[in-house]
Amino acid sequence: MNDQTEARKSVGVIIVTHTDYGDKLLKAAEMILGPQQDVRCVSVNVGVDTAETVKQLDADIRALDSGGGVIIVTDMFGGTPTNLSLSLMGQRLVEVVTGVNLPMLIKILSTRTKALSQLAADAKTAGVQGIVVAGEILRKKVAGE
Amino acid sequence: MFWVRIDNRLVHGQVIESWLPFTDARYMVVANDELAQDELRQQIMSIAIPLGIDFSFVKVAEVQTYLDSRRLMERDVLVLFASCPDARRAFEAGLDFRKLNLGNLHYGPGKRQVCQHIALSKEDETCLDFLRGKGVNLDYRCIPSDPVDLPG
Repeated sequence: MNDQTEARKSVGVIIVTHTDYGDKLLKAAEMILGPQQDVRCVSVNVGVDTAETVKQLDADIRALDSGGGVIIVTDMFGGTPTNLSLSLMGQRLVEVVTGVNLPMLIKILSTRTKALSQLAADAKTAGVQGIVVAGEILRKKVAGE
Repeated sequence: MFWVRIDNRLVHGQVIESWLPFTDARYMVVANDELAQDELRQQIMSIAIPLGIDFSFVKVAEVQTYLDSRRLMERDVLVLFASCPDARRAFEAGLDFRKLNLGNLHYGPGKRQVCQHIALSKEDETCLDFLRGKGVNLDYRCIPSDPVDLPG
């Protein structure tokens, strides 16, 4: 693990969500992984000018990009946090992944030295794999036996 | 790495996301008498275990026999117990570990809270004293980035 960290620069992480969902999600991930660095949470609130939020995001991207780029995770495709994040794509080395959940965030935080595009692809896979209808799997196992 | 841990919750997020990568384990042995006989709970727990990790549910007294039968001891194995008495029983039944990681041991009536994530009953302390007396080093970490020793 440590060899990897030294070999490549770590990707910065920004969690953009409706209200403080991102803060809580980060807390949950830290309970499992331990304290994390170079992560920022941006909450989108009613009553705050969206231009201000975009300005904040832009500043966070600049602060967190140490050469490896920044991955922005947002809570819901189509929502304001996502729309604001997407408006910053193309200007800097940024990847936006929507529908953040705990398995996705943990995957990102624990494998941050990967190339940005690979990290984003793996984050998507982890997020989807984390969604399980237990009954379906158990029924399949029983049927397969 | 051969890694032995006590964790009330057995397989859960911290074990899967932090200890499996930290130990580089490829085999996980869940040593618990109740689970070893409960296929439904085994199946539910196994859904959470990542692909590529070989795992097994065995009775506490049979851990060493199981490891021997598969020649696993010298490979990357993570053994999980739910309690201190279970760890002691396995040791007495021949499981040769020199280090024991104490993770989540929840508070209950009559237990002494020794740090944020560990509360010990009299019986737990007796078991740990026994193991310490046999030369087992105790490692009090909930997750790998925690300090190894108890505060104070």
